[in-house]
Amino acid sequence: MDITFLADTLVELLKGAPLTLELAATSVGLGFVLALALGLTLQSAPAALRWSIRGYVTMFRGTPLLVQIFLIYYGLGQFRPTLETLGLWGFFRQPYWCAILALTLNTAAYGAEIIRGGLQSVPYGQIEAARACGMPPWTAYRLVVLPIALRQALPSYGNEIILMIKGTSLTSIVTLLEITGVAQQIISQTYRAVEVFACAGAIYLSMNYLVAQSLAALEHWLSPHLRTPNIEDAVAIEGGLH
Amino acid sequence: MRDAPSNAAEDSAACLARAAVSVVDLHKSFGALEVLKGVSLTACEGEVVSILGSSGSGKSTMLRCINLLETPDHGTIRVGRETLSFEKDRKGRAAWADRRQVERLRRDAAMVFQSFNLWSHMTVLENVVAAPIHVLKRPRAQCVAEAEALLAKVGIADRRNYYPAHLSGGQQQRAAIARALAMQPRVLLFDEPTSSLDPELVGEVLRVMRSLADEGRTMLVVTHEMAFARDVSSQVLFLHRGRIDEEGPPDEVFSRPRSERLRQFLAAAG
Amino acid sequence: MASATFDLIGFGPEGWGPALLRAAAMTFVLSVAGFLSGAALGAIAAFARLSGDRFARVAAFAYSVLFRGVPDLLTIYLLYFGGSVALTMIGHWLGARGFVGLPLFATGMAALGVISGAYQAEVYRGAFLAIHRGEIEAARAFGMSGLTMLRKLVVPQVLRYAIPGLGNVWQLVLKDSALVSVIGLVELMRQAQVGAGSTREPFVFFCAAGALYLVIAAATGALFRTVERRSRRGFRMV
Repeated sequence: MDITFLADTLVELLKGAPLTLELAATSVGLGFVLALALGLTLQSAPAALRWSIRGYVTMFRGTPLLVQIFLIYYGLGQFRPTLETLGLWGFFRQPYWCAILALTLNTAAYGAEIIRGGLQSVPYGQIEAARACGMPPWTAYRLVVLPIALRQALPSYGNEIILMIKGTSLTSIVTLLEITGVAQQIISQTYRAVEVFACAGAIYLSMNYLVAQSLAALEHWLSPHLRTPNIEDAVAIEGGLH
Repeated sequence: MRDAPSNAAEDSAACLARAAVSVVDLHKSFGALEVLKGVSLTACEGEVVSILGSSGSGKSTMLRCINLLETPDHGTIRVGRETLSFEKDRKGRAAWADRRQVERLRRDAAMVFQSFNLWSHMTVLENVVAAPIHVLKRPRAQCVAEAEALLAKVGIADRRNYYPAHLSGGQQQRAAIARALAMQPRVLLFDEPTSSLDPELVGEVLRVMRSLADEGRTMLVVTHEMAFARDVSSQVLFLHRGRIDEEGPPDEVFSRPRSERLRQFLAAAG
Repeated sequence: MASATFDLIGFGPEGWGPALLRAAAMTFVLSVAGFLSGAALGAIAAFARLSGDRFARVAAFAYSVLFRGVPDLLTIYLLYFGGSVALTMIGHWLGARGFVGLPLFATGMAALGVISGAYQAEVYRGAFLAIHRGEIEAARAFGMSGLTMLRKLVVPQVLRYAIPGLGNVWQLVLKDSALVSVIGLVELMRQAQVGAGSTREPFVFFCAAGALYLVIAAATGALFRTVERRSRRGFRMV
């Protein structure tokens, strides 16, 4: 167990961490906005739009992320002349933006499903009560539907965030130097694959642990209404009805 | 029991002029099933109308048409100053054009639901102030002060920071009543308000409803509570299979029912 | 233009169709092998997690957390390179020269097994915990032996509750099989890469690969749903 090597490797690998986090955060953030838009549109869109959205969701949930990354990075490179005339080649030429696009589209598809589930779980009676007060549709969404739907979706969405952090490792295959990419670089120089990959694994594990803990804290903070009441409240509810 | 009007004709003419709620010739079908086959009702300011009937008689549907949670196929609905008329369009589907008019109508007709339907992620206080602040656009401090007064009135002031899940059924329904009152509506609609409650909790809710009636509030109540209907209403409607089988003051309807079906219904209800 | 595309992936003399289909079959076989290995590993891990032995519980928990928390690509690399290093050392010791790589299919299967086993362990554990305690109590009250109870009560119920979760894990394995391409195994992803590189038409080939993955996913998804429906016979929807 070469502690010096392991320590040096960790330091080197951590240089890839900012890119990992940047890729994950950007794609999850953009993906969430897209997923929310799609989820809300699905509720009240004309049939053609609904089918298009469902088609997109099926495609991106049913194919491997690697295929999606390659399709955008290598596949769209096939159309370089067209993209150049459109002025988009600068964007699609760079692995970073291709990766962001692929990751975003991927997470948005899963997110749209999660949000759809969240929206469906809102008890219909509470929506009726909002309408019965004369709330305009958007107000009802803002005050009642979305707060309940998003709280319901939080555990699944937290899981999706962790999957996205893991997904960023695939971008190493298109030359990005996030943690896995840096690991491969180190290995190509030192040939000590097991130790380097083990260190990389440890870093991902720590990241995911922190994310999972933060999400658990967030869930706890957002759901006082779902927690069992404390002892005094329980006694009060059971015994004192006035 | 409310006093019978001394001059029925005079009073009813005067009443029609300032009716709080009126419904004329309402029809509603769900697919092939016609649930309302032409029902009408008029309630003046301060009247309490009880709507009785067995399951499937259409009583809940009728109430839900008044605040347009269901869209009637045909008929006219008037709440306060808002009047909406419905006709089936050529495709046989009914629709209302003006969403804002519906929202205005709903502000004047506040509903209390059988399953309370309190917003589960908000505390009791937040439930009561949500609509006044965001729909009526009144200042927050004022809404909170009024909400606290209403919660005290229905007897759950000490539960203002509790979440609905932590309240008993009776407390939840009283919170729902406070929420409805906060809108300062012209008419209160009660859709079987005690049917989901354990028997020992029914009393506390009925007490609140009685006090509202004594205050002179206009109330339309779909209920199975015969004692309440008999004691508190000024008018009773008995629905059967989508039509009004019998209507009148409670002492007539309960003591001298004319229709056989009503007699059977009252006998079964005990 | 479109006809040229279809020539490319079709079955003519220039067509890569047969190659792609063979590769798709390899993907399917690899995924099935990985999923079944994972089922075995997952069952053992779930059993350990639910057992009384503290060491077993901790070990199983660590296994589950480790392979769900680390990127699957890393697991594949680690298994392949780590295993190959070990094999090379053994080879050198036995007199061979150069790099001795692990067999590609076996490594892919093992990697997918280890990864999906971690997820399947959670599924089986959850399914076991979902069994009504009352049924087990009744079985004991009627004098059923432990083994009989396992056979007649626990295993059938675990499978029934586990099927939706297993359907999800299967889809995950199917998609992860694409990652095995990085070690050189010629499954669908690799074949598409080869075709793309050879013909300089990456868009066509990756679209074709995507379509084939979708077909396998849809067909197997429908199969899982059928099995799920049949397993729910006689039970009210929870």
